[in-house]
Amino acid sequence: MSGHQHDDSLAEKRWLNALSKGDSSALGGLYELYGEKIFRYTFRMLGNRSDAEDATAETFLRVLRRSRDLKADGAFRTWLFRIARNLCIDKMRQHKLLELPTDAHYNGTEERATLRVTVQQALNELPVEYRDPLVLCDLEDVSAKEAADILDISVPALKSRLYRGRRALRDRLGGSIEKLT
Amino acid sequence: MTEFYKKLIDLYAAGELTDELAADMESAAAIDPVLAHDMRTLKSTFETLKNLPQPHLTEESDYRILLKMQIRGAEVQRRSPDRSHWQYHLPISS
Repeated sequence: MSGHQHDDSLAEKRWLNALSKGDSSALGGLYELYGEKIFRYTFRMLGNRSDAEDATAETFLRVLRRSRDLKADGAFRTWLFRIARNLCIDKMRQHKLLELPTDAHYNGTEERATLRVTVQQALNELPVEYRDPLVLCDLEDVSAKEAADILDISVPALKSRLYRGRRALRDRLGGSIEKLT
Repeated sequence: MTEFYKKLIDLYAAGELTDELAADMESAAAIDPVLAHDMRTLKSTFETLKNLPQPHLTEESDYRILLKMQIRGAEVQRRSPDRSHWQYHLPISS
């Protein structure tokens, strides 16, 4: 564990203990630790900023509602991602989300920039069982073990979904990806 | 192509093979255009995915998320006051 992760883990423990003892202002500490990660994950899953903001806020509100049951046992981050994931799935059921991130900064050649937009779009169109592992492992660098815990599946099942997801994405991209190779 | 080969290609594309195995795969691809195409396109997909720009939690989004929580009754604010410029300052009149 790096020094930074160790500090985060100590801070997490401190805020969770405070929150479970009724100090609701400790939610701000947890938001500071994980707010950006949850926002990025929900944005990747939902494909637009407004829904990602809603899902992020709701994720932390649910933490507050369950604050009496919180335990600093090292599983909080996984639980937080699970809440966020369930909220994303609910939102996806409500409406099909294909809007592209409007504020992404695309650098490089025009062809590559166009491809990135196409990749984001293809990712948004993938079934959620493929999109989830790709977002967690390939985009957010969550470990296979933690991603499997978040998705409540085994590590081999996660790897299988990753493997199928990457191929499904490649197949959706078709000629666009071949132009780059 | 067998499932086993497909999984090897996936590991190759994600950079999870040892250098020795990756070199073996590349040698095999040199005489197998189908394998070469699969390896090339999958690797390119993986690399493009990895290089997608990260969604950025802007100050405006951060502010709106905190506001949404506060409206719903959460006593929440950033613990480190690094957003002081958001505070409304009354003009100082002399």
